[in-house]
Amino acid sequence: MSQAANPKPSLLASLMAFPATIWDSIFRNPVPSNDLERSATTFTNFFLHIHPVKVHKNTLRPGYTLGLGLISMFLFTILVVTGILLMFYYVPSTSQAYDRMLDLRGTVAFGTILRNMHRWSAHLMVAAVFMHLCRVFLTGSYKKPREFNWVVGVVLFLLTLLMSFTGYLLPWDQLAFWAITVGTAIAGYAPVIGKDIQFLLMGGSTVGQEALLRFYVLHVAVLPAVLILAIAIHFWRIRKDGGLSRPADADPTPTMDLVTITEGPKVRMDDKKTYGVQGLVRGPLTKVNNIPDNTVFSWPNLFLSELFVFVMTLSVILVLSLLFNAPLEEPVNVMHPPNPAKAPWYFLGLQEMVSYSAFWGGIGVPGVYVVLLILTPYLDRSPKGVGKWFSRDRLLANTIFITFVVANIIFVIIGTYFRGPNWAFVSPW
Amino acid sequence: MTVNLKRTSRAGSDAEPISRRKLLGWITGVGLVGSAGLSAISNFVFIKPRATYGAPQRFSIGKPDGFPPGTRVTLENRRICVIREGDRLAAVSTTCTHLGCIVGLSDTGFACPCHGSRFDTDGKVTGGPAPRALPWYKLSLAPNGELEVDKDTEVQPGVYLSL
Repeated sequence: MSQAANPKPSLLASLMAFPATIWDSIFRNPVPSNDLERSATTFTNFFLHIHPVKVHKNTLRPGYTLGLGLISMFLFTILVVTGILLMFYYVPSTSQAYDRMLDLRGTVAFGTILRNMHRWSAHLMVAAVFMHLCRVFLTGSYKKPREFNWVVGVVLFLLTLLMSFTGYLLPWDQLAFWAITVGTAIAGYAPVIGKDIQFLLMGGSTVGQEALLRFYVLHVAVLPAVLILAIAIHFWRIRKDGGLSRPADADPTPTMDLVTITEGPKVRMDDKKTYGVQGLVRGPLTKVNNIPDNTVFSWPNLFLSELFVFVMTLSVILVLSLLFNAPLEEPVNVMHPPNPAKAPWYFLGLQEMVSYSAFWGGIGVPGVYVVLLILTPYLDRSPKGVGKWFSRDRLLANTIFITFVVANIIFVIIGTYFRGPNWAFVSPW
Repeated sequence: MTVNLKRTSRAGSDAEPISRRKLLGWITGVGLVGSAGLSAISNFVFIKPRATYGAPQRFSIGKPDGFPPGTRVTLENRRICVIREGDRLAAVSTTCTHLGCIVGLSDTGFACPCHGSRFDTDGKVTGGPAPRALPWYKLSLAPNGELEVDKDTEVQPGVYLSL
């Protein structure tokens, strides 16, 4: 054996080396000090390998993405953690749920701040996801090849709204009860299957114990599972669609020896394209030395940015949760709706529309919005104006989109500030 | 399992004999997709309750003497409003026909706090988004002299129970 040749290390030396042995068995790369190690760390770490080894400089411009997708993701993470903790004390029972809310406020250690964090993260997540949707639209980022990821994004937005809607019933306070009574009644206006959906959601003819249990299961199991799956697809597609969108001129065209392929290896079937010689190996994006490289290593550039966004998001949530308590209304009184009975702010636009017509406000117009959003990349197929905010090439599309957004914000403002008892117009001044 | 629909349909139109492999492929595909569909449907059958636990739809509201002439009183836990004009009695629903909130009594009839629907004293819509008038329920005098409301049976608005 070779041990005979090498002097056996002393016991002390072995013990001293033990922590390093453990560390090296977990992290196969040292803390990076050169480009090879930077690549290897990103590539081999389970939590980092979702990222590319190198990332385009445009992706790291805070003014381009505003970090909204990341913020949404981190808010969701906070929601999962605080939500699981809250589950330790919550009971989905009409006789206990409200008392458990009071327990969280009164006796459970950190109960108030956890509930506050969960509530404010939920509110901010709806806002962040919507603003992310606006960012992607206004920069034309849904265009080819990112059409399908836009659709996944729209689904994620709807799931976020559903999560918030189902979570709304769980405190079993007045606001919860009447918001869900109205919400499920809106579902009842859907054509053909509306009444069945309403019955399945409520598990009965009125909002009661069955409805509370159903909304609980949807909120803590079904919807999170679907949401996490959709997030996974969304992130995976970002990589497969070539990273974040950027202007067409952000990627320099190869200038060295070019060949036109007419026949030969079937790298690409498009015979009109020209490729750098080395590009033949892996397609047209392979970098050759005399092309300016607009990418930087993800370690540390991207990871520090992400850490910064996470710390900022968590700080904002913590500050909000320390300053403002999540509202809790009176316990449910099935005989007296509060007057006025108002949904949370992000549903008040819907409530305002519903106050004109239940079908058109609650089903028709929102349905048209969703269909239009999903079809956006298939209707607007011009490749121009990708990767710039408010590109002049996209004046028409952006104008239409902003008009819709502003109209809905106006509805939200009317519903929030201009509606009083019996939903009559009141002046906020 | 891949079934190329296009090719199969073309083969069919050319009266080409279907190969055994293709036939078995189709049977397997239909079987798998069909079972998946049936499983999905049975999930919905499972979560649709067969029995529900709600408030009774037929109930007694006491003797007519409890409602003197001129009464307009809401029985909140029953979600009805009892109206008595002279010797005539009626029971009107207080569940808003718009989105299910509970309407309250107002000077002109009923008003809904949720989305501003307005109804007159007979329950007819006078404003707001409500699509239908508030339904009137069948009111009868039970043999023991008590009034009985049947929320499963609606009557025409204006049909009173005469004492």
